Amino acid sequence: MTSHTAVVARRRVRTGTLFAIMCVIAVVMLYPFFYMLDNAFRNQAQFARQSGHSAVSWRLLFTQLPVWRELLNSTLICAISILLILAVSTTAGFAFAKLRYRGSGLVFLAVVAALMVPLQSIIIPEYVNLGKLGLINTYLGAILVYVALGTPFATFLMATYYRGISDDLIEAAVMDGLGYGRTFLRIALPLSWPALATVTVLQFIQIWDDLLVGLLFLQNPQQRTITVGLAALSSGRTTSIPVLMAGSFVSALPAITVYLIFQRHLVKGLTMGMGK
Amino acid sequence: MRRWSLVAGVAAAALLATACGSSASSGSGSTSSPVTLTIWHNYGTEQNATALQNLAKAFEKIHKNVTVNVVSQPATNYFALLQAAAVSKTGPDLAVMWTGLFTIQYKDFLTNLKGKIPAADFARIDPAALKWTSDRFNPANGPYVIPLENQFYIGFYNKADFAKAGVTSVPTDWSQLFAACKRLKAAGYLPFTYGNGGQPLGAEFYPWYDMSYMMIGQYPLSEWQKLYSGQIPWTAAANASQLSIWSKLKSQGCTNSDVLTKTNNLGDFESGKAAMIVDGTWDTQKFTSALGAKVAAFVPPFSSAPIKGVVDFSGDGLSMTTYAQHPTQALQFLEFMTTPQAARIINAAGLIPAIKGTSTTNPVNQEMLNFVSQDHMTAYPMLDNVVQPNVVNTGSKELPSVLNGSISPSAALASLQSTQGQLPASQRGTSYP
Amino acid sequence: MSTLTAQSQAAAGPTPGRGRARQPRSRLARRRRRAGILLTLPAAAVVVALLGIPVGQAVYYSMTNWNGLTATWIGPGAYATALSDPTFWRVIENNALLLLSIPFAIGIPLGIAWLLHEHVRGWRFFRSVYFLPTAVSWVVIGMVAVQFFAQQGLMNKLLADVGLGSLQTNMLAGQRSALVALAITFIWSMLGTNTIIFLTGMATLDPTLIEAARVDGLNRRQIFWRVTFPLLRRFVQFSFVITVISAFSALFSLIFVMTSGGPGFGTTTLEFFVYQSAFALGQFGTGALYGIILFVIMIIVGLVQLRLIRSEDGEGW
Repeated sequence: MTSHTAVVARRRVRTGTLFAIMCVIAVVMLYPFFYMLDNAFRNQAQFARQSGHSAVSWRLLFTQLPVWRELLNSTLICAISILLILAVSTTAGFAFAKLRYRGSGLVFLAVVAALMVPLQSIIIPEYVNLGKLGLINTYLGAILVYVALGTPFATFLMATYYRGISDDLIEAAVMDGLGYGRTFLRIALPLSWPALATVTVLQFIQIWDDLLVGLLFLQNPQQRTITVGLAALSSGRTTSIPVLMAGSFVSALPAITVYLIFQRHLVKGLTMGMGK
Repeated sequence: MRRWSLVAGVAAAALLATACGSSASSGSGSTSSPVTLTIWHNYGTEQNATALQNLAKAFEKIHKNVTVNVVSQPATNYFALLQAAAVSKTGPDLAVMWTGLFTIQYKDFLTNLKGKIPAADFARIDPAALKWTSDRFNPANGPYVIPLENQFYIGFYNKADFAKAGVTSVPTDWSQLFAACKRLKAAGYLPFTYGNGGQPLGAEFYPWYDMSYMMIGQYPLSEWQKLYSGQIPWTAAANASQLSIWSKLKSQGCTNSDVLTKTNNLGDFESGKAAMIVDGTWDTQKFTSALGAKVAAFVPPFSSAPIKGVVDFSGDGLSMTTYAQHPTQALQFLEFMTTPQAARIINAAGLIPAIKGTSTTNPVNQEMLNFVSQDHMTAYPMLDNVVQPNVVNTGSKELPSVLNGSISPSAALASLQSTQGQLPASQRGTSYP
Repeated sequence: MSTLTAQSQAAAGPTPGRGRARQPRSRLARRRRRAGILLTLPAAAVVVALLGIPVGQAVYYSMTNWNGLTATWIGPGAYATALSDPTFWRVIENNALLLLSIPFAIGIPLGIAWLLHEHVRGWRFFRSVYFLPTAVSWVVIGMVAVQFFAQQGLMNKLLADVGLGSLQTNMLAGQRSALVALAITFIWSMLGTNTIIFLTGMATLDPTLIEAARVDGLNRRQIFWRVTFPLLRRFVQFSFVITVISAFSALFSLIFVMTSGGPGFGTTTLEFFVYQSAFALGQFGTGALYGIILFVIMIIVGLVQLRLIRSEDGEGW
């Protein structure tokens, strides 16, 4: 065997091994999905035995919970919250990066430090405040809380990203007569797709999967999100785990969809967090 | 002139209409305008939920203008949710509330029902039940909660398994229990099944049923207050000795090895694999459906002398919030809960009504009632309802490890003691709050 | 909450960009300043009104007994009482122990990213697959973990299959071992995010440097440790930051479903302890107190990380 053939053969073995390892890792990563689906297609007795399948849990899911209604609520709240977060964080991020003024450093620090605030500590005072404003059991109340929780991270990410845009580009646009505002809208914003995608995907998962805010701020079953709805399934002394698994799978689909849509931009967006 | 008076008349009529509309929604008590009564519960999808829903439907038939909106809230965080809802006054008219110290802890937003409900209705309720929902556990102070059912936290055993293993009499103390375990094990059964089945998601084995029975074996009911106040310290030698015998259940093979984490202990019992289990009336119907005449109730014999008490307690019921929007209808619903019709509905859901003189159609439930009425066992509350929440919390975390053999009884009891010691004096007084 | 509540602390320093803000001398400068203030106003308002004020209130309530309706004042002594509670230190110990899992939560994804970087056929598909677990709710992850570590669970079955049956154990029944199980699940959940970060980092590497090293005769392992890893340092630091923050403030739901903080206080982290005081026991004042302590700890940890990064990098963020 010539050395060239040997090298090629070695490379093939190597490629094959790498492929095998990646497959194993994929199995480890995907195991919960498999578990979810496997058990979603069981009834309670089959779940206990871990054998046998049936579709009854899916029927139970849709009769015990207003699934479509709750999915709609979740989608509505996520969408509006993310739009608001993007609006607030892109403007602030741009300004922190390009339009610094005296004290803006401190303001930036304060906004980013807000990342450290743990939800459980502030949620009750927040609840009391918004209660006084009559915002409990309104979508607006929950949305405001989610916007507040998401703004620090989003602002930080956008500021980092905009820092990467050359100052000259901005100055040139301003020299040409565009105001700073329009420069932001027409020039900076369209360039920031990766960061927008990152914020969207990550905030979507965070808001969609949230339990506490939804539970406290949307006490009305008509306004309930899917995550809170699934929590109501696991109440009391017995949990029908198959039904819960079916519901969890349904709940995971939108997040996966959002991720798959934005994933190309997501990879680029995450890089920006470190600068280059 | 006439046009103005016409306009004024229309305006006045409109104002009157809106005023009537809004006052109807704020509970004017008018019996003709439609009212929606909101009830929150944390029962999930189990029997209590069924009972409550059927009560609601029956109530709607009697009061045709009332729609009862029964809302299932997640059981986790249920009480925090109630607290929050009380702050913003966005909560329900009626809410499920646990009795004992839970009621006392949350009474700030519960209506005291003394004088609001006719005494005749109170008289229909089992007095033992009403006691635990009043200030200082004295029913004369007026209850906050109308109990939904009478619960027994008790043991169940499989008669067929016992017979096959040659266990001829039901054990009534530790030594008889261990002897029965030996025979059952020899016959190939799991003598006593333990786990976290029957607990909310994520919880591990809940030790307070067993702890209640150990304390029943040790102290008469009147002494239980001393556990609350600390006059009987948790670290008392008597407590430690009972706990160490209890921990032998696992080490001597009476139980399965994964006592803390086994999720399928109920299934074990229902399939006949396990001969004994500690559980409660919320599962009686499940057991009788699965095992028929083979299942019977027995008092967990966690005592060195034959045990003489049983946990017979109304753990939960409905209370009216202080900010209820429809107090009149809410009170009517609470009154309805004390009627014989309500008792029949509750019984049909497999529960024991807390109403005096009612019988239950489930034979195993009837056995439990007989323990008290015929065998004259003392009715005790559940220990975790009459002990401070912080202490209960510590116990829930530490006591299971005692059964598992991972920590010593004295260490666990010392934790309970230390948690109790850190409470302010007002929370460990010589009388209940 | 999600694992990426705070993407990077690596740069929580002063304002990005060059130099200090110039004094508004020209009309242009004044316009820039006005635009800057206007554009940062909404974010600042949101943060102050909806985060800052509740934090201040939490500080106040932390020194009271509060059930939502009535607050009875205790005073700063509440902190002294809390800090002398041995359970509190046990909880802190858990947080500290959890930090030991960070190297694994970073090292394993580094290896996976290295694999993917080889661009074996189908690597893009695998990249998508590896991030998918992030979309799964903690409830499901927790439940799967419980089943995995159970006495009759998958882990014990696999151990038996490979002949290591003697190692079978009930991990969630012991205090320390439950924490290990939690750590393993946490590491698993961070794999997707960190892999993407490192993969992206590797994609930004200059291939000529690698080539030069290969020409110099270094083998694969040497190339990785001497060339690739140092260039990835910034990414490692970034990942370190998010992983630590996740460990401290994003595990609540997972702990709740897996062990509810038990057995004993074995898996109760400070974050879970805050939840327990406030929500399980209904003592909002105590919850606020531990919450403030957690907040302070995280700020300190953030500052420490900032210091470490600054000193290593030389260049500011």
